[in-house]
Amino acid sequence: MKKECIAMLLAGGQGSRLYVLTKNVAKPAVPFGGKYRIIDFPLSNCTNAGIDTVGVLTQYKPLELNSYIGSGQPWDLDRSNGGVHILPPYMVEGDKGSWYKGTANAIYQNIGFVDMYDPEYVVILSGDHIYKMNYMKMVEAHKAAGAACTISVLEVPWDEAPRFGIMNVDDKDNIVEFQEKPRQPKSNLASMGIYVFSWQKLREYLVNDEADPASSNDFGKNIIPKMLDAGEKMIAYRFEGYWKDVGTLESLWDANMDMLSRGDLDLLDSDWPIYARLPDQPPAFLGKHAIVEHSVVTQGCDVEGRVFNSVLSDSVVVEEGADVSYSVLMPGVTVKRGAVVQYAILGEGVTVGAGAKVGGDPMTCDPEQWGISVVGPAAAIADGETVAPKTMLNRNHEEVER
Amino acid sequence: MKGLHGLIFAHGKHTGLRELTELRSPASVPFGGRYRMIDFVLSSMVNAGVSDVGVILHGNYQSLLDHLGSGKDWDLSRKHGGLRLLPPFAMVQHRDDRTFRGKMEALASVSSYLETIRQDHVVLADCDTIINLPLQKVYEAHVASGADITAVCTPKNLGSLNAATFFHLDDEGNVTHTLYDIKEPEGFRSLDIFILSKDLLLRAVEECRRQDRYSFRDAVLHGMAGELKIRGFVWDGYAAQIRTLAGYYDRSMELFDPAIRRELFPKERPVFTKEMNVSSTYLDPDGACVNSLVADGCTVEGRVENCVLFRGVRVAKGAEVKNCILMQNVCVGRGASLTHVIADKNVKITDGCTLVGSANYPLAIAKNAEI
Repeated sequence: MKKECIAMLLAGGQGSRLYVLTKNVAKPAVPFGGKYRIIDFPLSNCTNAGIDTVGVLTQYKPLELNSYIGSGQPWDLDRSNGGVHILPPYMVEGDKGSWYKGTANAIYQNIGFVDMYDPEYVVILSGDHIYKMNYMKMVEAHKAAGAACTISVLEVPWDEAPRFGIMNVDDKDNIVEFQEKPRQPKSNLASMGIYVFSWQKLREYLVNDEADPASSNDFGKNIIPKMLDAGEKMIAYRFEGYWKDVGTLESLWDANMDMLSRGDLDLLDSDWPIYARLPDQPPAFLGKHAIVEHSVVTQGCDVEGRVFNSVLSDSVVVEEGADVSYSVLMPGVTVKRGAVVQYAILGEGVTVGAGAKVGGDPMTCDPEQWGISVVGPAAAIADGETVAPKTMLNRNHEEVER
Repeated sequence: MKGLHGLIFAHGKHTGLRELTELRSPASVPFGGRYRMIDFVLSSMVNAGVSDVGVILHGNYQSLLDHLGSGKDWDLSRKHGGLRLLPPFAMVQHRDDRTFRGKMEALASVSSYLETIRQDHVVLADCDTIINLPLQKVYEAHVASGADITAVCTPKNLGSLNAATFFHLDDEGNVTHTLYDIKEPEGFRSLDIFILSKDLLLRAVEECRRQDRYSFRDAVLHGMAGELKIRGFVWDGYAAQIRTLAGYYDRSMELFDPAIRRELFPKERPVFTKEMNVSSTYLDPDGACVNSLVADGCTVEGRVENCVLFRGVRVAKGAEVKNCILMQNVCVGRGASLTHVIADKNVKITDGCTLVGSANYPLAIAKNAEI
């Protein structure tokens, strides 16, 4: 059945800079903001924008992500015509199949899937950004300009520009040059890794790119430069609003704190809801001695202690006398009596024993020694144990170097 | 086929719930911060593997239809069976809009549905029972005992005797007497959950229809007591029957007790409800929230103590809310003060407004009101 526009979501990355948090799950399945997982943002954006066909390209540790997406029902993507499809790499005659070699190769290997819907436009998304965006507006801009490719860009502070892929544009926002992490940026328009392509045009480039043995089959490194060199019409689509790459532990922690400050990232906005799959849990209970300030709590939580400036995901328990501040507690974390947790990310199902201490306050630490402490999913911190700032532990309680 | 089929009576009228049932049936009265009353028996059925459930409706059922939808939140949206909503489609003989006089009349009105039941046993339940029952065990006990009817009952005193039935049980658990309209509780209180075979149900419905009898208690529990083996299944876990506003308020306030929450919300038997897409609840540094049950999507900037807050409630800065139940999307304005208030869905309390009810007579504010 023909669709005007479908989305392809690149969710196969290893997310190695999230270390212990992505040891057993793909990055898009990492919990965020109390009720969500990172992939809820692009999936909900698709649904809200009216894109009802989404291919999710998975590769690394896909089990949890696959079961999370399931039929796509929470995002209203369980459709008889279209809907959400998980697309792992697969074998073709003999030994021709392979892992996805790069972002462009992942789409190349699924040309057959895209062709089934015979779309005019394909939106390419990635599964590691927190933002709310109407992709259809971008598609409209793409159509109006008659472009072959439209790249969503964000104005970033000039001093941060060298960290991004930078688009240099003319006065009509036509892209004239692309610089990957330039030392001397000529503009401050950073690529957000969100592309709209006219499908037949992209298809052509994917096939040619695959035939080029020197190519690393990547959108940013190969496809975009090749299209620019060939003089294709490429435009920048300026996005305004909250957008954050949560590919590192620090940025994941930052984005959670941004949500608490309820500035640009408003998750209570009923016009653009973010959908999620959650287990049924009773409402949160805040006990007689609970002190919870500038924090969020989620269903299934049971709080008797003090919580300050923190994100509590579902089913988190903070016992009496425990003190949690500036931290992100993923689903099912238990912080026992008298334990102190500061500036930390605790993975799913972590237990912090009575009187234990995890992390530290940057004001009282040697700046060289300070950093966010991270405890991997299901790890148990013993009663009275101390986990120093900047330390990272895996699920077996072994220290991991960053 | 072997197994249980669920039937829930959601046709009743409880005038005792006053404002809460002005615009809805008791089945869809919000309870426990994010649930509707019907969720508890419905989830008990689903957790016991019941895949087909009929819900008998009558009068004011719009809100219940909105809540149940296709049944997908209970995993009851199925190709075969699943959730079936049964409005009073066979009520041709009663042209007025009065509700069914009793369960047998309600069942007779859906007799064509009853005949299509695939399972050999049926569980009947009222929608106003708040319970998390391991129904699988009741079913196994029913089959093992060879009883014709198994009646779930509790030794506990559940308060108000309004419409309550009691059983005397002998040493083997057989029902020897069924009592109704008594002044003091005696024996075991019926939780109005019954298991019987489909064949017996069809026979009883047909006999009652012919004799113009409509009460399950009168026509079956009393009337057929001589020929049937009726057993009690004693459940001593948490249960409540909510039929008055005072009872509603007291049972809600009980939820602050961790032991009761553990019994009502055990990990192995979740209570399912309609999913709403709201984010986590935000607690502001200017506010305080203690001894309260707080659903998702709330914003608390004022002081909240001993309250049940449903999804999407907002309590503005300087507001004080004590011993209250605030339902979905209630908004409490700046500096407002509420004590012993039950505010129904979408109620708006304007800035500075003071409302005081009392513990034994809470002030109920009807849905959508602005004060």
